[in-house]
Order: sequence, then structure tokens, then C-alpha cells
Amino acid sequence: MIKITNLEKTYRTEEVETVVLHALNLEVREGEFVAVMGPSGCGKSTLLNILGLLDDPNSGSFVFDNTETVGFNERRRAELRKHAIGFVFQSFNLIDELTVYENVELPLIYTGVSAAERKTRVEEVLDKMRIMHRRHHYPQQLSGGQQQRVAVARAVVNRPRLILADEPTGNLDSSNGNEVMDLLSELNEQGTTIVMVTHSEHDARYSHRIVRMLDGQTVTETILT
Amino acid sequence: MLRHYITVTLRNLLKHKLISAINLFGLTMGLTCCLLILAYILHETSYDRSPPTASRIYRVTRDFYDPNGATTLQLSAVAPVIGPLLKSDFPQIEKMAIILSGGSIVARYEDKILTQDSLAFADGNFLDLFGVRVLSGDARTALQEPRTIMLEQRTARKYFGTADPLNKELKLDGNLLCKVTGVYQGLPENSHLHPAMLISYTTLNDPSLYGEEAMRTSWSSNSFHTYLQLPATYDAAQLEAQFPAFLDRHMPQPKRAADFVPPSKMTSLQLQRLTDVHLTSHRADELEANGDITRVYIFSIIALFVLLIACINYMNLSTARAALRAKEVGVRKVIGARRSEIILQFLGESVLITALATALAVGCALLALPWLSRLAGTTLSPELLLRGPVLAGLLVLPLVVGVLSGLYPALYMSSFQPQHILKGFLKNSGGLTFRRALVVVQFVVSIGLLVGTAIVLLQVRYLQQTPLGYNREQLLTMTYPPTLTPQYEAFRQALQQQASVLNAGRSSRIPTGRLLDASDAAAVVGDSLRPTAASIKFVSIDDQFLPTYGIRLAAGRNFSPAFPTDTTGFILNASAVRMVGWDSPAAAVGQAFRYGGVMGRVVGVVEDFHFESLHQPIVPLVMFLSTVTSRSSYNLLTVKIAGANVPAALAHLESTWKQFLPEQPFAYTFLDESYNRLYEAEQRQSTLFALFAGIAIFIACLGLFGLSAFAITQRVKEIGIRKVLGASTSTIVVLLSSDFLRLVGVAALLALPLSWYLMHRWLQNFAYRIEMPWWVFPLAGLAAVLIALVTIVSQTVSVARANPVRSLRTE
Ligand SMILES: Nc1ncnc2c1ncn2[C@@H]1O[C@H](COP(=O)(O)OP(=O)(O)OP(=O)(O)O)[C@@H](O)[C@H]1O
Ligand SMILES: [Mg+2]
Repeated sequence: MIKITNLEKTYRTEEVETVVLHALNLEVREGEFVAVMGPSGCGKSTLLNILGLLDDPNSGSFVFDNTETVGFNERRRAELRKHAIGFVFQSFNLIDELTVYENVELPLIYTGVSAAERKTRVEEVLDKMRIMHRRHHYPQQLSGGQQQRVAVARAVVNRPRLILADEPTGNLDSSNGNEVMDLLSELNEQGTTIVMVTHSEHDARYSHRIVRMLDGQTVTETILT
Repeated sequence: MLRHYITVTLRNLLKHKLISAINLFGLTMGLTCCLLILAYILHETSYDRSPPTASRIYRVTRDFYDPNGATTLQLSAVAPVIGPLLKSDFPQIEKMAIILSGGSIVARYEDKILTQDSLAFADGNFLDLFGVRVLSGDARTALQEPRTIMLEQRTARKYFGTADPLNKELKLDGNLLCKVTGVYQGLPENSHLHPAMLISYTTLNDPSLYGEEAMRTSWSSNSFHTYLQLPATYDAAQLEAQFPAFLDRHMPQPKRAADFVPPSKMTSLQLQRLTDVHLTSHRADELEANGDITRVYIFSIIALFVLLIACINYMNLSTARAALRAKEVGVRKVIGARRSEIILQFLGESVLITALATALAVGCALLALPWLSRLAGTTLSPELLLRGPVLAGLLVLPLVVGVLSGLYPALYMSSFQPQHILKGFLKNSGGLTFRRALVVVQFVVSIGLLVGTAIVLLQVRYLQQTPLGYNREQLLTMTYPPTLTPQYEAFRQALQQQASVLNAGRSSRIPTGRLLDASDAAAVVGDSLRPTAASIKFVSIDDQFLPTYGIRLAAGRNFSPAFPTDTTGFILNASAVRMVGWDSPAAAVGQAFRYGGVMGRVVGVVEDFHFESLHQPIVPLVMFLSTVTSRSSYNLLTVKIAGANVPAALAHLESTWKQFLPEQPFAYTFLDESYNRLYEAEQRQSTLFALFAGIAIFIACLGLFGLSAFAITQRVKEIGIRKVLGASTSTIVVLLSSDFLRLVGVAALLALPLSWYLMHRWLQNFAYRIEMPWWVFPLAGLAAVLIALVTIVSQTVSVARANPVRSLRTE
């Protein structure tokens, strides 16, 4: 599904040039659950942003579903993002002015799903994430675990084929963390491809494969079964 | 999608109540000002559209030149011969109508005696050309016979109540009996003339009025407003080009060939579009006070400025607040929203807010309209705004203003990169320079308006306080009926029996009026009688006129019954003496002087005084007793009363009047009031100026208030840390205020030269004006800085004083 070859990413400020990703290669197959680990600042989030088409590499190739995405215009990126990719962040990133229900509904609004269908699909996902009873609450009224469940619900409501999760349990205690990891595993079993950045060995064990990064390069890969 | 956006917009509005309130209030104010001024402009530009062929009607006007070719007088009316001659010479003229405005007279029906204003003489052509609706009587024949009269509906009611006025008789000026032959609906309020009664034009042939001969041949009674209708596609300039030849063909030539100057060198005729009369015509004898196109421009610009300031508030506050919505933008983009969708969302938001403001503004404008009408001295009806095109415009307005004020914030916010925002850092400095620039623009405009207001007020005050050369206090003026002349001495003595009446004088015109009458003058300089270089205006006065007005003599003496030769005596003003070329007022006294064919001597010279308004320079003037030329009679009586007991003086005056003039209604005007009316336009302008400047500064300060409030909430933590590290309250106030104050300071520096230039231009409109008051400029700048300072400091102080532990804990 994903094939990255020779990816380069540098950030340039006035004085310094930081090479974040260097000659990076990575392949993710359909249905895989990959955990990305590595020390802080090694470029994990940067990689995830590139996978999510939020950021551009400086050179190299990123093939998604056999299509080269480097050079896509803004419209095609947004299109791909909206239909095929869901995001989960460490800091939840729910919109404070929208209720749980409205947050989850938002992606469906952008894909132009009809109101009636939106209702069934949002309720279905909220049910699945066991947060239905809180659908009229605002994010600030929820616990961290609940907020992250809403974020996962929002990521999956469009039935994306790829979920990108950046330290999804980073702000949660272990029991809430486990709950979220269980949800992700479940989604993966149903066929969703997942790439997750994590600092937790415990969480990484939920995946099929751990990719370890150091200074912008993948160094080792561990296959788990 | 739409519902979603509306929900988000409303929730954001409610969440940031202060900023929303400032935005909504500012936009509402700005739009209200625009709507009010729109109503004013629509009204001012709607004049004289009621005649069916209004766009093809022209008014014939006349200019006069002195031998050097300089314009001496511009009249809106022409001589009675001109209209008929034009009509017979130029077949392209489809219709021609003449109306002679008769001013005010006394009209009587049975026991009702009233002073009647806006009397006019006209015939059926006038009714036809102006599309006057005749309510009763026959439009074609009603004004054919001499001594027939048509009444405007309201006039008819005044005299006849509900009774049918047809065939009843009105007695005018005590001797002219006119039969009522019709009633018509008055011309709309937005017309440049409003005759209240129309006497048949043929009545003027009566020898007691103009007389048949003068009506047929006079080139000099320029009181006849003459209107032409031209074919639809005809270019009026073509006709105008033939006027000089027309004048040379018809105007009588001087008897001596040596004096021959082509008439077209001394006078000219012009055509003026009927629809332009109200806004662009400022001739000496306009029928009514006209509007002024520059005033329309000035107020349009001010309205746009106020709206601009409100839009800038919106831009600034939305952009400043952008950081708070950055996460929302990031999340939307991550989910798959395109930049264009985000832009549309924010534009939609501003359009929605503007729509809300527009709705509120329409309400406010309708409520404020009667009040503005009073301030502006016109009648602005709500219908002006409730018309199809305006309403359609109101639907488009939120779109335009919303996009105008929302575009920058939308572009700015939609440019956020989600990968950066969601990580928690946002460089908010990109918008900062722009925001600062906008604050500067707001204050440049505000300070400019402040300077404008101050200078307009100072000039108006100057006009009211300038020494006029006569004393305008406690002077009553009234129409002088010629019938009083035989008994006048007895009347005056009866008046002066009581101490409350100090003096009384008669004249053909009175100060605060215009000087429109002139005749040929010649004076002896050296040893030959030579015509004067330019024309000299005249007023006929009696021997009490100068003392009544307190006009001072520079040399010689006033007229006196003790000198029978005064019937050919002249009193000049100092300007006339200078123009003639005599060395001094004293040198002029006793010199031979010929005026209007009468040969006599200068008996006295008065110091220059402001007969006309201060818009006009003082012109050369000659005064003589009304016996000197038969052309001039006394029209007005001025009575000087003691200031101590005005009601007693008025009562005495009225009873004496009733005793001598039982047929004449007693009506008077304080000269002071007439004087103030001269500057009413400036007075109103200054009030409106002050009002709009106040609103502009208020909205700009609201914006500053919002911006600084916002900046402070952003810096609460920084302030806390600084205080923990030992900063004092005052250093923190300075820290927080200096940034904004610098901007206001820069604005002041930019605004001052700009406003200096504009106000310098404005002052050129006055013949007598104040020196540019330089102190106004630093003062206005300082005032703006002070107002801004109060706005900002009021907020910073409480934050700077707060216990730092509290602000740090909130993080
Ligand atoms: N906008 C930017 N400008 C300059 N440098 C950046 C920018 N974003 C990231 N970097 C740098 O790129 C490097 C990689 O950052 P990245 O966020 O990918 O690290 P990470 O592996 O996700 O770290 P962590 O585990 O702490 O989240 C860091 O050294 C960071 O300083
Ligand atoms: Mg990271």
C-alpha cells in the first residue's frame, strides 16, 4: 500500500539547515499494523506527516496504492486524505466549539455524505467507541481517554484504509491507553492498515512490526507475530 | 455544510463575546452611517425629477461682465423678453415656460389676512412643463385672464378651509383682486421651487405691476425664471453657442456710436439642466437655498471612512484571534478540507456577521432618520431607503463588506500548516505588521476627522464673531408697505414715543441680504467725469438707516432733512471711494458723482461694513435717498429696540403697526436670526462633521480596546513571570501600552499634513476666513494619543496589578 524510497526531508531556517529524514525507505502492506519507534527528534512525526500528505518531502518517492504522490496538488492531497486516511494525535485535537457528535460528523460533511447517512454512520461509530452516551457533550467536558476515543471515532468514521496515529496514548494513563490500543487492534483486524508512532514498548507490542528510527533513517525492523 | 458553518460561527461569536460585540457594534455603526448618508445622497440627487420631461428641461441663466470681461453677477433668472424671443428664434425649442417669483405679499379673504410667501406669476405653459397636477379648474384656461389665480392645495385650505375656493376672490397687497380659477397639487418637496399661489402671467401687464410695455421690451428686469424643453437627442451646447448672436441681434444698442460695445460682451445666457439646479447652481438669486454637490461628496467620503474603520476592526480582531482558531483550521485540513473550503468558511462567517450588522443597521438608520433630517435641515423620508434598488443593494452589501473585511483574515488563517499548528506552535507575527498598518490607517482617518471638525467649528465661530461694521443686536426687520409712506413720519414718531424703541430706518435692502442692484456710475477724478472702472451696487436708504444700524461715517455726514439738496446726495462706502480713485474718504466728500443718470455730490463716506454674508467680499456700494432714482423704493423697515424689555417693545410696535396699518399683518424677523441663517449650512456641516468624527474615533478606539485586550490575554503568563522577577506595575503598563501608542503617534504624524492640505482647501471657500490654526494639529494628535492611552491603560492597569501567582496558575 505504501512504498517510500530514498526520502529526504530538510528544514531550512535562516541560519541552519536540519536534515530530518535522510535516504529513508519504508514499505507498508495492506492490512499491516506498523509501530514506529525512536528517540525524540529523530523524525517520526515528520515521517507520519509525509505519509498523511500534510507535508512534502524534498526528494525521494512516496507511492500510495501504486500512485506516486510526490507532486500532487493541494486538491488531490486533500481528496486522498479525506477518503483514505484517518489521523489520531497525542493531543486529541478535537474542535472545542463542536460537540462529540459534531466532531465525528465533520469528515463526513467534507466528503459530502447526506445528512441521513451521516447520522447512522456517526451513531454507529460512537456506539462502537462506547461514547454514544456522551455525544452532546463538548470535548472539555470529557476525560482524556474519552476524548481520544472520540478522536479515534472521528478518524475512522469515513472508513479510511489507513490510520496514522502519533503517540495516541501519550497523554493517557495505562488503562485508558490500553482501551485505545484495543480499539486500534480491533480496527486493524477488520482490515484497516495502521501506522503508529509510539515511545511505549508496551503499545508497540500490539503491532505486527516495529520500525526503529535513528537520525532520520530506519535502522532496524522487528517482526512480531 | 451550511448549517454546520452557521453553528460554528454562532458558537465562536458567543465564545468571544467582547470581540464579537466590538465587531458587530462597529460594523452596525459603520453601516448605519452609510445608510443615513445614502438616504441623504438619494434625497439630494432626487431633485426636480417630477416633470415628465425633466431630463430635457433647461433653465436659462444670465451672467454680467464688467468692461474688463470679469463676471460681476450671475443670475438664475432673465429678463421677460428673453423667453418669448428665444422661442420664436429657435424652432428646436419645443416648450417654454416662465415663472416670476413674487416673494411674499399680504393676501386677504374676508377677515383672514395673512402674509403669503412663495407667490408667483405663471401661465398654463408652466403647469404643462412642470407636470403640475390640477385638482380643480381647467388647466388650459385657468391662468389665461388677468387677475386670475390658482392656489396650491394647502394654500387653498389656509384661506378657504373646506369650502370650495373656485370663483372666490382674494385681495392681494390691499388692492389687487384676483379670482380663484383652480387648485393644484404642490410640487414635490424635492423641487427647487414651490409656488404656493400662481397668478396669471397676463396680470403683470397691469401698469401698477410691470406694465405691458416693460413685459414686452425690458432687458433689465432679470427676475423671470425661464425654462425650455429641448428635443430628446438635442445637444444643449449647440443652442447655447447661438446665444451671443441672439443677444447682439435683439438687445437695444446705445444711442452714441462711440459707446458701442456688442451686448454679448456685457452679458451672456446659459442653459442649465433642470436636474442639476439643486446641487450645482449657486447663483445670486436662487429661488430657494440649493444643496451643494461638494457637501454630498464630503459626506459620502466620511461615511466610507467610518465603514472602513469598522471593517479594519473586523480584520484586526479576527486576525488577532486567529491563534485561537488555529487548531480548528489544522484539524479541518487534516480531515481533508481544502484551503479554498477554509477560506469560504471564514468568508461566510464574516458575511454572516455583516448580514447581522446590516439588519441591525437598517433598524438603526430608520430610527435615526428623523433626527438626521433635523440636523441636516431636510426631510429624509424612510421611503428613500425602502425602495427596490436600495433593498436589493442591502442584500449585496453584506457580501461586499463581509468579503472586504473577511478576506484578509480568511487568507491568513487558511494558510496555517496543520503539521505545525497541531504540534502547538504558531508564528503569529506574519499578521502583526499588517494589523499595525491597519491601526495606523484607522487613526490617520480619525485624527483627520478630528482636525476637520475643529477647523470647521473655529471657522463657523469666526463667522459669527467677526465685527461686521454694524450692530446686529436688537434689530427687528419687517416688510415696508409703500402705502405707509404718506404717514411715515407720524408712524415713526408714534413708535419712538416709548423708550423701548430706539430708532427706525427704511431701505431697499437690508444687511444679511444680497446686493444685486447696480447702475452706471461716473465720478469726477481730477477734473473730468469718468465712468467707474467696475460696477457699484446700490441701496436706497432713509436718513435714519445708518444710525439704526450703527454704521460709522469715515468722512462727511449722514443724509438729513436739513439739507434739501440731499435728494441728489450720495453716501459711498470706503471700497467705492478706493475704486473710484479718490485719495481718502475726506477727499471724496463734496465731489461730483453721477449714478443711474442722476448727477449729484458725495455727502458722506461710511467705513466698509459686511452688508452681504462673509462668503462674499465687501463690494463698492453707493447709498442714496429713494427719491434719487424712481427705480428704487423702500421695501424694508428696520427697528432698533432697547434690549431691556423686548416683549414691551414688541407690544408697542405691534399696536402702533395696527393703528397705522390695519390691513397689514404684523410680522417681523430678528436680524440676528437672518444672520445666523446665512451660516446655517456651515453650522450643520460642523455638527454633522463632529458627529461622524466622534463615531469614527469611537469605533477606532473600540478596535484598539479589543486588540489590546487580546494582546494582554496572550501575555498574561509573560506578565506574571515579569512580576515574579520584580517588575513594577508601571513598567508593565508602559510595556503593554507603548506598542499601541507608537502606532497612534505614527498615525498622527501622517494625518497632520494630509488634513492640513484638505482643510486649507476648504477654507478657500470663504472670502473671510481664519488663519490656519496651527495649534489644532498637535492638539488633535495629542487628543487621539490621550484617548488611545486611556483605552489601553484602563485594561493594562488591572492586569499589571494582578497577583502574578494567579496568572501563572491558569497555565
Ligand atoms: N518546522 C520545523 N522547522 C525546523 N525544524 C523542525 C521543524 N519541525 C521539526 N523540526 C525538527 O525536525 C526534527 C524531527 O522532528 P519530529 O517532530 O519529526 O521528531 P519526533 O521524532 O516526532 O520527536 P518526538 O518523539 O519528540 O515527537 C527535530 O529535530 C525538529 O527540531
Ligand atoms: Mg513526534
